[in-house]
Parts: sequence; C-alpha cells; structure tokens
Amino acid sequence: MGRLLERWLPKLVVSPLFAVSLFFVYGFIAWTVYISFTRSGILPNYDFAGLIQYVRLWHTPRWYVALTNLFVFSILFIGVCTALGMFLAILLDQRVRAEGAIRTIFLYPMALSFIVTGTAWKWILNPGLGLEKVVHDLGFTDFRFDWLVNPHMAIYTVVIAGVWQSSGYAMALFLAGLRSVDDDILKAAAIDGAGPWRTYTRIILPNLRPVFLSVFIILAHLSIKSFDLVIALTNGGPGYATDMPATFMYSFAFQRSELGTAAASAVMMLATILAIIVPYLYSELRETNR
Amino acid sequence: MARASSNRRKTVVTVLAWAIGLLIFFPILWTVLTSFKTEAEAVASPPSFINFHWTLENYAEVQSRSDYFRHFLNSVVISLGSTVLGLIIAIPAAWSMAFVPAKRTKDILMWMLSTKMLPPVGVLIPIYLIFRDIGLLDSLLGLIIVLMLINLPIIIWMLFTYFREIPGEILEAARMDGAGLKAELLYVLTPMAVPGIASTLLLNIILAWNEAFWTLNLTAAKAAPLTAFIASYSSPEGLFYAKLSAASTMAIAPILILGWFSQKQLVRGLTFGAVK
Repeated sequence: MGRLLERWLPKLVVSPLFAVSLFFVYGFIAWTVYISFTRSGILPNYDFAGLIQYVRLWHTPRWYVALTNLFVFSILFIGVCTALGMFLAILLDQRVRAEGAIRTIFLYPMALSFIVTGTAWKWILNPGLGLEKVVHDLGFTDFRFDWLVNPHMAIYTVVIAGVWQSSGYAMALFLAGLRSVDDDILKAAAIDGAGPWRTYTRIILPNLRPVFLSVFIILAHLSIKSFDLVIALTNGGPGYATDMPATFMYSFAFQRSELGTAAASAVMMLATILAIIVPYLYSELRETNR
Repeated sequence: MARASSNRRKTVVTVLAWAIGLLIFFPILWTVLTSFKTEAEAVASPPSFINFHWTLENYAEVQSRSDYFRHFLNSVVISLGSTVLGLIIAIPAAWSMAFVPAKRTKDILMWMLSTKMLPPVGVLIPIYLIFRDIGLLDSLLGLIIVLMLINLPIIIWMLFTYFREIPGEILEAARMDGAGLKAELLYVLTPMAVPGIASTLLLNIILAWNEAFWTLNLTAAKAAPLTAFIASYSSPEGLFYAKLSAASTMAIAPILILGWFSQKQLVRGLTFGAVK
C-alpha cells in the first residue's frame, strides 16, 4: 500500500492541476470564442450568429485606432527596452560598486504597479505642471511637451512610461546572460588581442541569442497585454486616441455592454499572441527534448 | 598604472550607473515627496524639492474621505490569501515534478508557463459571467480564487526551479538511513525548501498586490484593493496630486521596503528564476 502510494502520489498531485489549468485556460477560451460568434450584448446569448461580431469589430474605427496604437507601441517599446536594457546590462557588467542595490533600483518600476506609479508620470507629463513647465521656467519658452493631451502624440507618452517600467527588467535578463558567457572564451579572446568592442560584437552578443529571444517574447506579450499603463496614464484618452486592444475590450465589455464584440476583440488578441508564442514554444521544446 | 586607470574607470561607470538609477527612481521619489506637500505646493511652479511645508494632512484626508485603510486591508487579504492558497496547491506538484520527474514533466511545465502569456481578456468574459451568476463579483473570495489561478503557473515554475537545486543525493542518503516518505518530507526536504518557498511567497504577494486587470474588472466599491481604489480615485477627483500621491505612497511603501530587504529574492523572482 505504502509503495503503491509512493509511486502514484507524484502523479496524483500533478494531475488535478493539469486538469484545472486545462479547463480554466482552454475551457474559458473556448467559451469566449463561442460568445464571439453570438449576438451577446449586455447579457450572453448562445444562439450561433456567425461572423457578425467580427464584421462589426472590423467596421469599428476605434478598433483600428487600438490596433495602430498596439503596433506603434510594441515596436517602440520592444526596440527601446531591448536597446536600453542591453546598454544598462553592459554598464552594470563593468563591476560597478554596490551592484545589488543599483540592480534593485532598476527593477523597482517593474515591481510596483503602474496604476500607482502613474501618479508621478501624470505630473511629469502634464504640460502645465511637469517637464514642460519646468523648462519654461528655466527660460526656454518655446519648448513644447504636450504629448499627454495631444491626440496624435499621446500614445508616445504610454511608450515612455512603458520603457521606464520595463527596461530595467530587460537589463536584469541581459545581465544574467552576460554573466553566463564562458570566461575561458573571453580569456582566449583577450589573449588573441580582441578589444572590448570586438569582444562584445563578435563573441558576447552572438552568445546571447537565446536571451534576446526570451526578452523579445516577454516584451511582446507584455505589450499586447498592456492595460495598466493606458488606464493609469491616459485612460484611453484624449477621446480614444490611446486605446489599446486590452482597454478596447474592457470598455466594450463593461462600459458599452457589448459582450459579443468584446469577445471578438479578445479572440483577435489571443490569435496574435498564439502566433508569437507557439513557434517559440515549439522550438524551445524541440531544444529540450533533443 | 593599469590598476589606477581601471579604478578610475570603475568610478566613472559607478557614477553613471547611479545617475541613471536616480533618474529611474525619480518618479517614485517624487510621489513620496508630493504626498507631504499641500495641494497648492504640489502644483506649484517652480516645484520645490525639500523646502516646502511638510504636512501629513493628505494622509489623514485620504483616510477620512474614503476609508483608505479598508482598501489597504483588502489588498493584504487578497494578496496573502491567493498566495497561501496557491502555495498549498503548488508545493506538492512542484515537489513531485522536481524529484520524481516523468518523461514529459518539462513539457508540462513549459506549457503551464505559456498559459500565463495568454492575454487575460481571453478568459475575462466567462469568469465575469460565472462570478455574476454565483454572486462572487466584488467579493474578496472571488478575487483570491482568480488571482490564485492566474499566478499558479508562476508559483509552480518558481518552486520547481528552487526544488531542483536541492541535491538528490541527500534524499538517497536519508532513504539509506531508513527514512520513510513522511520523514523525508518533514525533516529533509522541508528545511531545504523553505528559502525557495519564501521567495516564491514574496514574488507572488508582489504580483497579486500589483494586479490591476482583474481587480479593476471584478470589483466595485466593496472589495476593491488599492490598485482599483487608486485607479478610481484619480479620474473623478480631478487633479488632487497631493492626496493621490499620499494614497500611492502608502500603496508602494510595503513593496519598496520588502523588496529592499530581500533584493536577491526580488530579482530572482521577477525574472522567474533566470537571474540568481
């Protein structure tokens, strides 16, 4: 009896978890997908109605604004975070003093909710109070920084805040990668007379390929999920100029009570994320099973 | 000569790194400073750094106007509740995956972790509908359950990476000495697993504490934790920077302090074990 228990217990404690995740994640996703094929409004309705919600979604100008914003935001967010993160990682890799403390400070923005830290950002970006006002007071009265209230530029304030929040995080991942590069290779390169620039571009960066990939995946899924940033900073405004798919979905589901359209937008987001992570997971699993 | 120049370089790099650190820390510092100003000073120009009239009235005001402490308690209950519940479920699973790995264990873990990447909007509508029908909307219990489920993959993954570092030989030695499953768990594994469990606890409390998507979508006035409260506070009340800063400062202070005293665990946790 004891032996049997010992053999089956490990499987027994894992399988309910497996079942719950399977149901919770995929069951509910299937449910959402189904709702996206119905006429659900404020109440769910389970009569199949075909693609009507998708047609409506793709005829909503606001959805295009959300998609364009997502596109602009992700490209800038991923690009700048990666570059800044790499720069900061190389900086910290020079064995600075009190590295642990600096690393923690760099990571603080990620450890705090942006709903809360957004307060200071609203002050900094407010043209009448923050950066613009301070520069004006210094005498540079031509200086313009009204992005927060400018519908064409507001999305870039979300990018700034996002970069502030996540580049320290990218730094931490890159730093771990830099530290894991084999010391012997670096010594050999030094003996062969490679300078720091060549060492970085020819040896260290190519070695970091897997780290780049995971940083990309993490930042990409963060940008598609980004919700707090927009809610805290602009609440989607001015108008709906800074809407992103997640806030679009939120506002359609709960403010406008159009569950069906909201579900359709959720399905579009799911499909986008799947298109990114499935190939990644596939290659990752092939690696580990080899 | 070489040593002197490398020392100087080290100083330059350190100064640069701290300058950037200060820049990154500025918004947080500014929130804390603003919370001690009067509303007039909070929007004054030019802004003052320390030579303003320090006051605690914003804190008193926030509390008396909107019962801040209740939302604070909601945050505590939700983050602790979901974390403890998650750990109870995850510890046995992570233990079995780390010490009795099956052929597919790694795949299952990767798959579980991948579900965390899916956008929560994908499951929002069903959960909202279920919660509405069984009366869990705007309830602490509902949020505890949802946050536990949302963070479970991360809890398991973190515990797994920690448990895996416990050397298997110790188990074998204990077995040789005749320790049964119970003794093995109680006297050998548990003491070695405590640091990993503590770090996972810390990480998950932070994640749950910061959670905004679910708390905003599933709560109203009653069960709203700090994130939902502050989000609601900032819009209709207009630009009350000082009071908003006071509310924000109290919301970030626990994490700032907790994080500072457990830097290693914080870094490792936030990077899901990638940075040791």
